[in-house]
Amino acid sequence: MVFFNLWSVFQWYLRPFIKWFLRKTTRLCELQRICYGDKIGAQRSCNIEKSLMLSRTRDVQEVVAFLDAVVKERRFIPTLFSEILDPTVNIIIRVKKINKKLHDSFSPLFRQCLIQIWSYRQLVDEVEELRCTHFDSNDPIHEKKLLRLWGLLMPDRPLEARITKDWQDIGFQGDDPKTDFRGMGLLGLENLLYFATEYRQASNHVLSHSLHPKYGYTFAIVGINLTSMAYYLLKDGSAKTYMFNLKQHLPSINLFHKFYCYLFYEFDKMWIESKPENMMEFSIIFKKFENAVRTELADPASVFRINIEVDTI
Amino acid sequence: MGFLTILKKLRQKEKEMRILMLGLDNAGKTTILKRFNGEPIDTISPTLGFNIKTLEHRGYKLNIWDVGGQKSLRSYWKNYFESTDGVVWVVDSADARRLADCAKELHTLLREERLAGATLLVLANKSDLPGALTLQEIREALDLDSIKTHHWRIMRCSAVTGENLLEGMDWMLDDIANRIFTLD
Repeated sequence: MVFFNLWSVFQWYLRPFIKWFLRKTTRLCELQRICYGDKIGAQRSCNIEKSLMLSRTRDVQEVVAFLDAVVKERRFIPTLFSEILDPTVNIIIRVKKINKKLHDSFSPLFRQCLIQIWSYRQLVDEVEELRCTHFDSNDPIHEKKLLRLWGLLMPDRPLEARITKDWQDIGFQGDDPKTDFRGMGLLGLENLLYFATEYRQASNHVLSHSLHPKYGYTFAIVGINLTSMAYYLLKDGSAKTYMFNLKQHLPSINLFHKFYCYLFYEFDKMWIESKPENMMEFSIIFKKFENAVRTELADPASVFRINIEVDTI
Repeated sequence: MGFLTILKKLRQKEKEMRILMLGLDNAGKTTILKRFNGEPIDTISPTLGFNIKTLEHRGYKLNIWDVGGQKSLRSYWKNYFESTDGVVWVVDSADARRLADCAKELHTLLREERLAGATLLVLANKSDLPGALTLQEIREALDLDSIKTHHWRIMRCSAVTGENLLEGMDWMLDDIANRIFTLD
């Protein structure tokens, strides 16, 4: 508590002073120092975000509020980037008195950070919306998705009926999967569907592990628990390391699904390697897995590669 | 002074209780536990394995074990029976279809020797949902009146609205306290 108080005093009084000092000695504002000095990716974008959020300059606060409003309307999309970001970057350049001619490399670097930061925020909103959409048996679209999941995972076996014990073979709890989606809503189903569609071989491989007589587990329910993990990692900002360090992609729902697939594949590996006595060890192994992922995400230099190799044994 | 008396006195000092939450899958065990602990209840996933929460309530230290209820996990419930003071049996009041299954599991549980003497609280959860069965219907379907081996009580409740959760838990704590903390 004392430490926390000291820290906030430092933030409030000392930070402006240090910033002023560095500005005078380096002739660069904090945003420039971050863009030039920090490694591209999570390190740079996260520090830019921190700097913008701590700013007490009214214009900067307004820029942040404006971009947040754009995200609320889901308008932060590539085709609108120049319309949204050009004026924004110009305001910052003006407020921070940056010489455009001398520092022509600043705006593209800074702009890239803004794109990452607010794409991520929009993604958080989108994911939250999917999670809050309950699985509804009366909605033909939801039902179709559920049946498609069966078809993808069990291509050689048609489903006997909509309500049947067969669902347990792909790891749902009972004879109707709808209640299993509870807290994660449609997000849980979309994640599973993406894994089964985009990583057919890997998902089949994982599903076959889940059917192992000794180390088997409930595929779909583990999947929904992993959705929950991915959701929390996204929401508390831990997943920024993963998303900001990918050069080719911006944070998007597909990237979230890919992150989930990575978690599923890695969890399966850890589970099998742990040789669990029975399903009751899930809580412990799951926690251990989460800690390992969090440790890796805590290092801004971490790059995650979904390196899915399917062993043939 | 025998070993049991010492044990009893030790526990009295700490006022610790061990409570086991069981019931079929999707009954709402984790939701009740989180609600009782004041945590958000809108992001719960099906429980694999177990959750354990230690919390203070009315001066008691409660160790609450919430074990997953899906069929394949029920055979592992027995691993958690040791030194249990109270069992909370959670029923989904809106799930009439599986009530017979629920009754069967409950009576199997009550025959368990290691649970002898444990207080039983039956929570008829989701009573706020349309189509929920009445307390009387559940009491009959579960054949509760035939239970002579345990102190028991049934209460309607809702983990979402919070209705009756505290009342149920308080009854259970009083019953357990009367049994294990009263000096002869």
